[in-house]
Amino acid sequence: MGNLTAGLNIALQSMLAEQGAIDTTSNNIANVNTPGYARQRVDLEETPPIQIGNITYGTGAQLKQVLSLRDSILDLRVNQETQQQGKLDSFLSSAQQIQALFNETSGTGLQSDLTAFFNSFSELSTNPSDLNLRQAVLTAGQNLASAFQQSSNSLANLQHSVDLSVTQSVNQINTLAQQIAVVNTQVAAAVSSGQNAGAFIDQRQQLINQLSSLVDVSEIDAGGGSLTLTTSNGAALVVGGQSFAWTTQADPTTALQHIYSQGSDITARISGGQLAGQLQVRDQEIPSLQGSLDTLAGDLSTAVNTQHQAGFDLSGAAGGNFFTAAPAGNVGAAASIQVAITDPSRIAASSDGSAGDNGNSNAILALQNQNFINGLTPIGAYAGLVFKIGNDVQSAQSNEAAGSQVLQQLQNLQGGVSGVDINEESANLIRFQNAYSASARVASVIDSLLQTTIDMVNP
Amino acid sequence: MSVRLNPNILPDLLTSIQESRGNLNTATQQLSSGRRVNQLSDDPSAAAQLVANHDQAAQDDQFLQNLSGLQSKFQVADSTMSSVVTLLTRAVSIGTEGANGTVSASDRQAIAGEVQGLLTQLVSLGNTSYQGAYLFAGTASTTQPFTLDPATQQVVYNGNGNSNAVALLNGASVKSNVPGSQLFQNASGNAMSALGDLYHALQTGNNIAGALSEVESALSEVSVQRVFYGNVLNQITSSENFLSQDKVNLSSQENTLVGVDPAVAATDLAQSQTAYQSDLAATGQILNLPSLLDFLVH
Repeated sequence: MGNLTAGLNIALQSMLAEQGAIDTTSNNIANVNTPGYARQRVDLEETPPIQIGNITYGTGAQLKQVLSLRDSILDLRVNQETQQQGKLDSFLSSAQQIQALFNETSGTGLQSDLTAFFNSFSELSTNPSDLNLRQAVLTAGQNLASAFQQSSNSLANLQHSVDLSVTQSVNQINTLAQQIAVVNTQVAAAVSSGQNAGAFIDQRQQLINQLSSLVDVSEIDAGGGSLTLTTSNGAALVVGGQSFAWTTQADPTTALQHIYSQGSDITARISGGQLAGQLQVRDQEIPSLQGSLDTLAGDLSTAVNTQHQAGFDLSGAAGGNFFTAAPAGNVGAAASIQVAITDPSRIAASSDGSAGDNGNSNAILALQNQNFINGLTPIGAYAGLVFKIGNDVQSAQSNEAAGSQVLQQLQNLQGGVSGVDINEESANLIRFQNAYSASARVASVIDSLLQTTIDMVNP
Repeated sequence: MSVRLNPNILPDLLTSIQESRGNLNTATQQLSSGRRVNQLSDDPSAAAQLVANHDQAAQDDQFLQNLSGLQSKFQVADSTMSSVVTLLTRAVSIGTEGANGTVSASDRQAIAGEVQGLLTQLVSLGNTSYQGAYLFAGTASTTQPFTLDPATQQVVYNGNGNSNAVALLNGASVKSNVPGSQLFQNASGNAMSALGDLYHALQTGNNIAGALSEVESALSEVSVQRVFYGNVLNQITSSENFLSQDKVNLSSQENTLVGVDPAVAATDLAQSQTAYQSDLAATGQILNLPSLLDFLVH
């Protein structure tokens, strides 16, 4: 058989539990716009019943725990997709600058100078001994040379600025890794003392998501609520409460910053996030374009020089180099190409030594249609370069567009699990309020019953 | 139980607005630039073909410019040849006069003097230059081709027998000069030596008829050679027509590659405007939807 005091206890305990539920609802509503917040839910449970005689009485309800609702697999997938998007975004932002340098649709690029160079020989062939036309050939050659130099320098400048961004990204990664290590300790401490670690986990997830936009992150559950973070290739970032700072150091030959983790060079092993996109532009895209430009400039100057040497200048002397000789293996040819002669009469337009012969000028002009640059004409090789630049941007753009849809879907799923819904919280608030009021009413009834009882024995 | 939806719909709404805003920008850019391809990435393969197209068009321009220069040069050469014909005709005419047995010795000397003058003129015509280059020196265009020895009235050719070819489209070329030796010292009719011989014959009175027939065959040879200029000027005109047509084709190819159909672009613009506006309207309505809180009464 029950007693009134027990009933009063049940009512009070219920009020406490509902109060906890109202607190949680209030916290959910307060954090409706907090990034990374996962909604919380209260678990209410029956307290253990008591047996009096052969009757079992319930003893009320209590607040068992407050749970953060998140789907850790979904969180992982969001982070992975974020890494992919970070890489594509940072690649695109640089690649779009590259394509602006060669935007032939608006007349920017090498085509006009390349064509004008050969056209100057075409015009010279109409009057090979004319010094004005010869001067025009030198000018066209100089224009072409400086167009090569400018393109090459612009690429080098872009590479340099991306290099600075690499260092900044590494610094950001280090800062985030430190913060994650601190929060990791807090999670572990909360878990070991049996407290609700939800708020710390929210914070940690948010930091890991930020880190994912910078670099590829692989999460390993280290037990006890603690996480170990490495790159997908195993370079350590955070282990328990310890973070591992990465360092950068300039490569002695390229002067570009290489990334070191605990003494080993991990530059080539970064596969995701903004940092990977930056490295892709810096270490692959730009060097590949520079290589193509160098081949074009180097092979062109070698072919023109060879043909030029086969001819004779205005005074009948054998021709020399028209352009400065290309460096060995064409390395840096585009940046260093220059017209080697300054005297227009030194142009070897003649193939037989007579001043008015245009045979050699015609032969140099004919190079325009010869496939001597990796099996392509000069303009063909350049068109190939233009195609590659545009195509790289286009494919990154379409990957980025597809990826961003995937990411948004994943984020919607994540929001479905963890997002705070004001309608839901409002309904819960009413539910908990009603329960609280009812319990309070019960307490008040029991109070009056107790009063009645006391009055009964003590008139 | 149904799947719980993401209560935060804002990202979806914003993405949709951003997307239609992007379409609107693209449509505006296409319409204002008249181009479908404004960045290499809009159509990499069209951009690469555009490079070749522009290269070819600029080459055509250069060929046209070359042809127009050659045309002027050939016109000068042709009018020089015309003067030579007039000059030789005059030589035949006065030579015939001198060959007449009734002409006195002193008159013959006077005619010989005029022939000498004609020879000097012929040499000077043979040394005509155009834009600083001798027209009839072969490819030795900086060397004065003909020099007259005043003592012997013999003309020496200092040029060479070569000619240049100026490249045109698709490997075609046009010959850009005829050597003076071929024009004026041809084995079939040597104008220079014919006048020299006529001068000597008139002076001495010997074999005037023989010298006269030399001049006549030189005259006919010069007329034959002159045909080259007429032909080459015709060739230039037809090449110019071809190149102009090629430029029209290239320009239409460029339009196909990167141009935009104005009607399509205008429709795109109208569509993307409508889409953008309806996205904004929808977002405004959705954001103004009431929540349960608005219906809970104390």
